[in-house]
Amino acid sequence: MASDSHAFRWSLSAPVAVPWVTTLARLVLGGVLIVAGWLKIGTPALSVQAVKAYELLPDGVATAVGYGLPILEIVVGALLVLGLLTRFSAVVAGLLMLAFVVGIASAWARGLRIDCGCFGGDGTLAAGQEPAYLAELLRDAGLVLCAAWAAWFPPGRLALDSLLGLTPPDDDDLLDDSQEKENE
Amino acid sequence: MSKGARSAAARERIAAQRQADRKRDRRRRLATIAGVAVVAVAAVGFGSWYAASQDTAEAPRQGLAPTTVNSDGSVTMAQAGVESPVLDVFEDFQCPACKSMEDSSGSTIRNLAAEGKAKVVYHPITIFPQEPTRSNSIRAGAAARCVTDGAQWVAFHDKLFQEQPPETVEGFRLNDLVSWGKSAGVTAPDFADCVTTQRKAKAQEQFSTTTMRQQKLTGTPTVKLNGKELGNETIFVPAKLRQAVQAAAQ
Repeated sequence: MASDSHAFRWSLSAPVAVPWVTTLARLVLGGVLIVAGWLKIGTPALSVQAVKAYELLPDGVATAVGYGLPILEIVVGALLVLGLLTRFSAVVAGLLMLAFVVGIASAWARGLRIDCGCFGGDGTLAAGQEPAYLAELLRDAGLVLCAAWAAWFPPGRLALDSLLGLTPPDDDDLLDDSQEKENE
Repeated sequence: MSKGARSAAARERIAAQRQADRKRDRRRRLATIAGVAVVAVAAVGFGSWYAASQDTAEAPRQGLAPTTVNSDGSVTMAQAGVESPVLDVFEDFQCPACKSMEDSSGSTIRNLAAEGKAKVVYHPITIFPQEPTRSNSIRAGAAARCVTDGAQWVAFHDKLFQEQPPETVEGFRLNDLVSWGKSAGVTAPDFADCVTTQRKAKAQEQFSTTTMRQQKLTGTPTVKLNGKELGNETIFVPAKLRQAVQAAAQ
């Protein structure tokens, strides 16, 4: 609660740009997720293969992840772009990105030579291609930051959450809520 | 009633009204959130199920189409008289994506040949430039060249993909290849000798270089239908592969 009120105070004094930054973070993160999911969804066998290339998960789990990940990326990406259930979607997207960071870092540490399979493919490098672990890690770390921002300052401008009245309670509501508690 | 009491009653009424409004709003908000969440979860569930259904391999038909090992090491599988459409399959025994394609679409390719709907030609090549994958692939490819009977070649081909080593370690060892050949039913009398002396290694390398240049291959697996390369979204999805081949036959 203490951290909440701290964030709350901070957001009061924050420049008007904050909601727009959230919108930008949502669009970047959501856009990347939709593209990544779209490029994988037509070839489930390859998607499974790309997960197996990390040699991290047991075969059955890797298969389930290979089938489920592309559609999960598309759905979470769409929610972020629309600004629907923003905080929840951003948290899920952030956890996904963290999982990718762990996977890539572990592949690098174990000396595997794979492609991250982030945007389709089966995880094997093309002939003469070198692994691009550092670039992939930096990109995903940047996306983790986008997710953290959107989760911290939801829902931003142009969000369905606001349109549908799903936003976290604003100043009045907070005051009302505290009054209500006193009354009870 | 005093003025003060009246205004207090009014305040209370307003407060009660506001509280009811807030409660209604909260219920509506929760209902919307739950609705969106249910739709999102259902979409993920349905998408995963659909992906799994797309990746379901056909049951293998009884009986192979007549299969011939050609002198250049390629293998033709077709019912007598079936000359088109031609389905060329370029694969590397060491390539994980090729194993994945065999797992998903291998039975479809074979069924199409058995049904007389296509003439299938396998081209086992070595695409890996670096070790240990290059030597692994050459040993496996050279061993397959030691099989002279078509049906036995198909069985050995399946066994090799089944036993595919990871890309980071030395695998497809010569003595393993010999015993896998035996278990796959290879009867060629000099098979063991042919494998252990790597008699066909040079031919495997040359065939690979020539094939990759002539066919302008960028990777494996590559599947061509009447000379035209099919996309991954076709060759890795059994139903789509079947559809493409049947459309080409008409």
